[in-house]
Amino acid sequence: MRALEPWVVDPLQSFLTESSARLTLLMTTSGQVVAQHGFSRSLDVMTAAALGAGIVASTEELARLMGASRFGALVHHGVRQSCLLSAFATPRGRWIGVVVFGPETSVGIVQLFFDQMVQQLMTAAPREQVQAPMLAENFESELDASLKALFGR
Amino acid sequence: MSPTDAALDRVTRVPGVRGALLVTGSDGLVVAEQLMDGVDGRAAAALTASLVGRLSRAAESAGMQPPAFVHLRGDAGSVLAAPAPGDLVLVAVVGPDANVGLARLEMLEAAGRLD
Amino acid sequence: MSDDIRSLTDRLAAEPSSLAFLELGETLRRRGQLEAAYKVARGGASRYPGLADAHDLVARILSDQADLAGAFDAWSSALQLDPMRVSALKGIAFLYFRAGDALAALDHLQRAAEVDPDDPSIAQALERVRQEVTTAGPPPPAGAPPPNPAAPPNAAAPPTGTAFDDVDGGEQGQLLVDGNGLRLAGALVLADGSDASDRVAARLAGASREAARATRLLGLGGWHSIALECPDGHIVLSSPTAETILLTVRDRSLPMARVGLLAERAARAARTWLERLG
Repeated sequence: MRALEPWVVDPLQSFLTESSARLTLLMTTSGQVVAQHGFSRSLDVMTAAALGAGIVASTEELARLMGASRFGALVHHGVRQSCLLSAFATPRGRWIGVVVFGPETSVGIVQLFFDQMVQQLMTAAPREQVQAPMLAENFESELDASLKALFGR
Repeated sequence: MSPTDAALDRVTRVPGVRGALLVTGSDGLVVAEQLMDGVDGRAAAALTASLVGRLSRAAESAGMQPPAFVHLRGDAGSVLAAPAPGDLVLVAVVGPDANVGLARLEMLEAAGRLD
Repeated sequence: MSDDIRSLTDRLAAEPSSLAFLELGETLRRRGQLEAAYKVARGGASRYPGLADAHDLVARILSDQADLAGAFDAWSSALQLDPMRVSALKGIAFLYFRAGDALAALDHLQRAAEVDPDDPSIAQALERVRQEVTTAGPPPPAGAPPPNPAAPPNAAAPPTGTAFDDVDGGEQGQLLVDGNGLRLAGALVLADGSDASDRVAARLAGASREAARATRLLGLGGWHSIALECPDGHIVLSSPTAETILLTVRDRSLPMARVGLLAERAARAARTWLERLG
């Protein structure tokens, strides 16, 4: 497990222990990765982050068109692996969680402890620092720095 | 009244039962519920389905068939579970003074009728 | 010092609480700098005792250093924190195999395969261990000492035949299991004569933790027992100590409430036996 900020570690570790998730990605809605577990290649993280952010943006737009409030979570059921995507509010802005899990756990367990993690992140997030908006010109260098921190490369 | 509502109704009528739920066994999601305030249905569904799955695999390893009834006893009450046909599990959360014997009979009967 | 090690060392020095020790320890291990790797990993594991990755790293380094007992303990710690941890299951399987206990190795590999069926290395290892099991002949009787004195320390079951002497049925039908799914005492022999003890013990890994989690999150306090009514028998699980789980099995002719009483007596006997072992 790797996290850009130390206060994310405990809630995420607790989620991983309780849920038995195989892969987990926490990111901002713009696709900037905040923490990851289980990915071994930075390319996979970048791709998953981009796709996850895109899917959440699409479903939220779909919900808006249908006059519904935001969807709580999106679950793709697979035979060997399933995937949960969920956006949630934090004091640092809106984040997205992407969780891949296998038959050793269940969607009920993953959702239960995902929600618990969200509550813990809300409590643990430092309030004093407001995240600066991501500027187009520093996006790449921010992304590069994040991936280095997340993979130690 | 639907068969599901009827099943939950007969279980929640037993003294000491705080709530009854019908949950999916493999996903641990709530299908239907009748709960008193303070009982977290989502947690009961996910945690009980997961535990029943694990215990069924352990029973199978011991050369036995999956359980027809499970009773998890805690300091301040119990969780009862009766697997039903179609990957469903009938779950009840009961207080420490509940008539577990009666709840068991009602659950086994109700789970059998969910076929 | 190479650039990547320097960069990781600098990061760790700048922020000692960061998880960079995992990357640094693994890099040092791969370079063969095992003593340095161990210092880094041990420091990290002390700082983050609840992080399974840290214990896993310590285990890999100790295994490279041929400290198999130490590696076994570290992987056991990782498994206690994360019962589904494939690397720890594979590591412990490897240690059992080296110690000559192919059946225990097989159990751990099967658990690893259930968690990650796509890992080809597990399939290969399973094939190799199955060959060994087939050529080695039938398993030793329950309670027999491990075949190799060099077996990992936790793998050598404490002397059986004493834990449940005062309980009806003795050892058969009682199974005392530690938090890693390893048999401590008792035996479970099936109707066909096969010994299911280790297989059932492995399946019970994490059951105590899961029961405790369920009762805690549902506001029911700690857990006392789990009764399972199966069509062909009654099972009661209890927790003699925080780290162990006890399984009591009887056929359906014995009412469930009596199996529960028997399980309570067996739990007391197990507690006394464990205290005697120190």
